[in-house]
Amino acid sequence: MRRARRRSLRPRPLSYLWMLIPGLAVYLAFTVYPFLSSLRYSLYNWTGVGALRDFIGLGNYSFIFNPQGFLHPLVRAVLHNVYFFGLSFVLSCLLGFLLAYLLYSVNTRVSAWLQALYFVPYLIPPVVVGYLWSIYLEPGFGAISRALNALGLSWLNLPYLGSSRLALPTVVGISAWAGMGFPVLLFLAAMINIPSEILDAAKIDGAGATTTMTRVIFPMLRSTFVTVVTLTWLSSFLVFDLVYVLEGTQAGPNYATDVFGTLFYRTAWGGFGATATGMGLAAATAVVAFFFIMIIAALMVWLQQRLGRD
Amino acid sequence: MRWRSDFWVSGLQYLILGLWGLIVLIPLLNLLMLSLKSLPGIVARPFSLPSTLHFSNYVNAWKLGDLGIYLFNTAWMSVLAVAVVLGLGSLAGYVLGRFDFKGNRFLYLVFLAGLALPIQMIAVPYFGMMEALNLINSPWSLVLLYGASGLSFSVFILTAFARNLPTELEEAAWVEGATPTYVYWRIALPLMRPILASVGLFNFVSAWNGFFFPLILLTSRHNMTITVGILSFIGEHLTEWQYLLPALVISMLPPILVFLIVSRQFIRGLTSGALKI
Repeated sequence: MRRARRRSLRPRPLSYLWMLIPGLAVYLAFTVYPFLSSLRYSLYNWTGVGALRDFIGLGNYSFIFNPQGFLHPLVRAVLHNVYFFGLSFVLSCLLGFLLAYLLYSVNTRVSAWLQALYFVPYLIPPVVVGYLWSIYLEPGFGAISRALNALGLSWLNLPYLGSSRLALPTVVGISAWAGMGFPVLLFLAAMINIPSEILDAAKIDGAGATTTMTRVIFPMLRSTFVTVVTLTWLSSFLVFDLVYVLEGTQAGPNYATDVFGTLFYRTAWGGFGATATGMGLAAATAVVAFFFIMIIAALMVWLQQRLGRD
Repeated sequence: MRWRSDFWVSGLQYLILGLWGLIVLIPLLNLLMLSLKSLPGIVARPFSLPSTLHFSNYVNAWKLGDLGIYLFNTAWMSVLAVAVVLGLGSLAGYVLGRFDFKGNRFLYLVFLAGLALPIQMIAVPYFGMMEALNLINSPWSLVLLYGASGLSFSVFILTAFARNLPTELEEAAWVEGATPTYVYWRIALPLMRPILASVGLFNFVSAWNGFFFPLILLTSRHNMTITVGILSFIGEHLTEWQYLLPALVISMLPPILVFLIVSRQFIRGLTSGALKI
């Protein structure tokens, strides 16, 4: 009886479902549909102009997995993405956690100002971040090399962007500089949301700051760590702007900074340093990378749900 | 809850925090300073304060570098993309968060799945699609892209927010015989305002800062957005520093400005767990 009355008060589906249609339609048309059709494009040889005609079946895929063909540059690029992920993970999880913990324990007003300041580089276009640092890291007249020389540290004045050993870590460092604000805020949010009873209980039991951190705060932030790791993983495969600006489309020196984004760009749109070109091949490469990224991301989400439960 | 910590510990805490603050701030302030120097000063003495402020750098970058056109294109493109996301996203989020109907969970998951989609994955088909729609070289292609792909994250957040809104006002409205459209517009939307500010910021930043899609979709200078327009200051042999630096400064101001406007709501929303990811 009560149920029936309640239902009669609620509006009928048709009166509200129409509000869902415009958003769903735009999303399906311009995100889901292109996503699904990348599977179709990957089966064609297509130069980027006109209709899809030259059907080659799994030809693009067999070229990708051919050791004499595309496998080597693709594996190299993906490994650079994995390296990117590993180093950003260390930087954003360790330094990000440390900064969040310090912000958590200092005066709230100071903390609020610093939170906003730390977030600012995250808002700057990555292209600008790239130019900014390429100006400072210019080996000749750049501010950093001058500062190092002036401080008598000229042995540290290295071609950070020009040596194949240092270029990739330098790009990751620049990316971490720009992105640090986000993990800091995520960690801080999680710390603020720890119930104060738990912290009070720890204090009553005589736990010092270090014990509280390692035994209470750290374990309670496990699922936040997995969130940060997952987001870092996904964003590590989107890297493109910084490498493009700092190292060009050929991702020099000698492909030392070639990531999936730059390889994909060269394959689809050509450009200096392209190994093989073709939009169909690029689409197939994206499909392969997508499954690789997704399988690992799914594992991380699964892990997060397991950790979140207990 | 505060730890009783002695002078040295808290001093060290402030030292580390301040150090990172400087690492963030100095490059940005230095960029501002460099942009006001004459060309010889930029190259010869990057650290010294400019002896005279060359605001003419900005004027010249604006006049000679088509900066005004790039900014105009980027501004209307980003604003429209954000309008699409906030308008359509709040409607969809309200329906998904508020009403129980068959397929609700499935549609929610469809939006959610896009969160994990690397956007480059759709680049080739999207390029083909824009070619077919004759939108290559038009910023409208970016409005559609950022408007559509931004919905995934935004609907996810807005649905969660709508689900937790208080129900009393709404129940009263149903008793009065109000339509869902009316309830959305007069009750739900005003309550969603704080979260809309945060979602709007995220989408504005990603549209304004976007580089990959403008690079592949826009070809002629008068249609370019700022991130690809900046590239034109970098020559094959010669970089026009005195124009590039003001352009860099100007292009990062709008996202920072939008952040300053909504920063309070944004940080509070994030730390209160409303933006839980």
